[in-house]
This record gives sequence, structure tokens and C-alpha cells, in this order.
Amino acid sequence: MDLSITGPKIYFSITLFKDVPFIGVINVTQTMVSSFVVMVALIVAAYFLTRHLTIRPSRTQVLVEKGVSTLYNFVGETMGEHNLRFAPYIGALFLSSVCGTLIGMTQIFRAATADLSTTLAWALATTAIVWFYKIKNQGFLGFLKGFTEPIAVMTPMNIVSEIANPISLAFRHFGNIAGGSVLTALIYAALAALNNLFFGWLPKAVFAVFPTIFQVGIPAFLSIYFDLFSAFVQALVFCLLTMVYIGEANPPPAEVSADAAKN
Amino acid sequence: MEFFLNSFEEFVGVNFWTMIFAWCNLLILYFFLRKLLFRPVKDMIDKRQKEIDDLYADAEEKRTSAGELKATYEEKIAGAEEEREEILRTAVRKAQLREEEILHEADETARRTLRRAEEQAEQEKKRALNEVKDEVSGMAIDIAAAVIGRDVDREEHEAMIDDFIRHMDDGDTPSAS
Repeated sequence: MDLSITGPKIYFSITLFKDVPFIGVINVTQTMVSSFVVMVALIVAAYFLTRHLTIRPSRTQVLVEKGVSTLYNFVGETMGEHNLRFAPYIGALFLSSVCGTLIGMTQIFRAATADLSTTLAWALATTAIVWFYKIKNQGFLGFLKGFTEPIAVMTPMNIVSEIANPISLAFRHFGNIAGGSVLTALIYAALAALNNLFFGWLPKAVFAVFPTIFQVGIPAFLSIYFDLFSAFVQALVFCLLTMVYIGEANPPPAEVSADAAKN
Repeated sequence: MEFFLNSFEEFVGVNFWTMIFAWCNLLILYFFLRKLLFRPVKDMIDKRQKEIDDLYADAEEKRTSAGELKATYEEKIAGAEEEREEILRTAVRKAQLREEEILHEADETARRTLRRAEEQAEQEKKRALNEVKDEVSGMAIDIAAAVIGRDVDREEHEAMIDDFIRHMDDGDTPSAS
């Protein structure tokens, strides 16, 4: 019984620059394929779901509207009404995350969020937006000065926490999904071993009839937690933190002017 | 380009191009979803909300105006009721007046008729009395002439008898003069 925990499979690679580390070779991996499939599927779904919007909604439209208005309410409550234009971004992020995780359940594709590259890219996007708004609202000097608050001694801590934010964001999401898949793989292996122990003594022809009897059923319940529940919770947490960070960086207009007057 | 059958990325590793790819996918998804899903659906929700608000405002307005109309009508109806009673009261008063008038008139007429009848009766009586007086005096003279046997001075006797009758009218016996 061999059990290997690996990263996403590399289908093929394109060499751009020979011997240049990090960016020299494009590896086309399972992650890329999954995230591409998710993107296309979501766009197609969005197209078909919103083709016939009417004032008197159909049943599908009611569901779609429920989702969209929930998103807008959630964004409005968390980030404030002035940040409502982030709702589509948060929605896209949430759907990418959920579907990127759930696509792993197909066993054809590997979960896109089980790759640190994906979650780190999203986390860095959040950081980029946060920094953009901080600099926009407080000026570059004000942004730098923000690191020395509340007192100058805190500067190293603030810098570390600023860097830690995207890393913790990325690792939380990646770790939960990847960890779940590892656990699932381990349990499958353990159940296979148990199967072997109980029925291994049977003649090979008989044993072949029910080779994995223990693997039926039990992993399904675990999958409810590790795939379904985790997918939604992690997406929610990621989006919630993104909203909180951006909301903090872009307070309501009144507060911005008050801060500017203070400085 | 190189193809692999069994090559894997690190389990915990960061690949620059995968990151770029994930980022681009997120961006593309963002733009498409915003254009296809979020904007139109949100617009539709807002539009419906506006329509509902308009509807409610309209209904409220109609309700208010209906209430006003109702108040006006009620006022009018109350006015009509009062007017009706007034008319009725006036009519009753008029009728009463008329009744009194008619009664009064009837009374008057009856009284007048009675008086006329009384007057007529009085005249009749006077005439009858005069006639009787003439006759009686004539008879008395004739009787007296017969008794005396000779012609009595008619004029003188007539005056004497009239005097007698007058005294009889007065109720006391005339003196034989």
C-alpha cells in the first residue's frame, strides 16, 4: 500500500527562460486547470441564470436575487454602505473559493484552493487593495506613519502583522482544504488496510469481489465536513477577513476627512 | 514544452505562474460576474424596490384622497340630513299656521252667518210685529166702531192703540187715557 501526499500534478511545462529560477518555467498544473474550469463554469452559469431577468421573477431568479441581495447586505453590514462597490469582487472571490474547493470532490479535478499559490494570490490581492486604499486615504507618508501607531516601539510588530496578514489568510484557507484532502486520503488508506486485514486471507478471486468494502460510506460522512462544510466556512472566513481589512483601510468618507483634519 | 506523466508540484509550495493564473482568473471572473450577474440582478432588485415603493406611495396617496373625499361626502350627507329636518320643520310649522288660519276663518264665517241669521230673524220679527200691530189696530177700530155704532175718528184711535201696544211692549199696563 503506497500513500503519497503530493501537490498538484504537473501536466506539462513551458520553458520561457532557461535557468531563471521561479519565473523561468510555466508549469501547467491541476490547479490551473481547476481554476480555469471554475471560472468558465461560473461565467457560463451567470450568463444562463441572468438571461431573462424580469420584474416578476421566475423561481430561479428569486434564488439568484436572494443570493445577490444577501451578498450586498453582508458587504454593506461588514464594510459600510460606501464600500458596496466591493460586493462584486467579494462575490467573485467567494464563488471562486467555494467552487474551487468543491471541484475537488469530482475527483477529476484537484481543488484549486488546495494549492497555496491560489490562496496566496487571493490574499495578496486583498493586501494590494488594502494598501492602495490606505495610501489613497492617508497619503504615502500617512500610510508609513500608521506603522508607528499607537507608539513608535510597536513599529516592528506592526510591520510583521502587516506581512502576516496575507500569509495567515492564505495558509488558513490552503491548510484547511489541503489538510482535509490529506486526511481523506489517509482515512482511505487506513480503511484499505483494515479491509486487507479482515478479508486478506480470502482467496484472491473472492477478495476481488469486495476489495474496498470499508471504504464505502464512512468517508462520505467525513467528506461532508472536510469538503462541503469546510468549503463554505473557509470561503466565508476568507471573504469576511478580506472585507474587514478593506473596510478598515477605507472607512466612511466622514471619518477620512476627520482623520485628515487631525493630521 | 515538456510533458510529464507523473510529476507533481510541492505540496506546500508557491508557484509564480500559478499565482498569476489564479489572479487573472479571479479578475476575469470579477469583471464577467459584475457585468453578467451582480449589476443586472442588483439593478433589477432596485428597480423592483422602486416600483414597489412607487406603488405604495401611490396607494397611500389614493387612500388619503379617498379619505378626504369620504369626509367631504359625510359632511354633505350630514348637511342634507339637517336640511331635510329643516324643511320638515318648516312644513310642519306652515301646516300648523294654515290649520289655525282655516279654523279661524271657519269660525269667523260661522259667526258672521249666525249674526246675519239673527239680524234677519230680528227684522222678520219686527215686520211681523208691525203687521200684527196694524191688523190689531184696524180690528180694534172696527170692533170699537161696531160697539160704539158710529164712526170713530180713525186717526185718533190709531194713535191711541199704538200707544197701547207700545206700552204693552214695555211690559206695563197703559193708563186708560
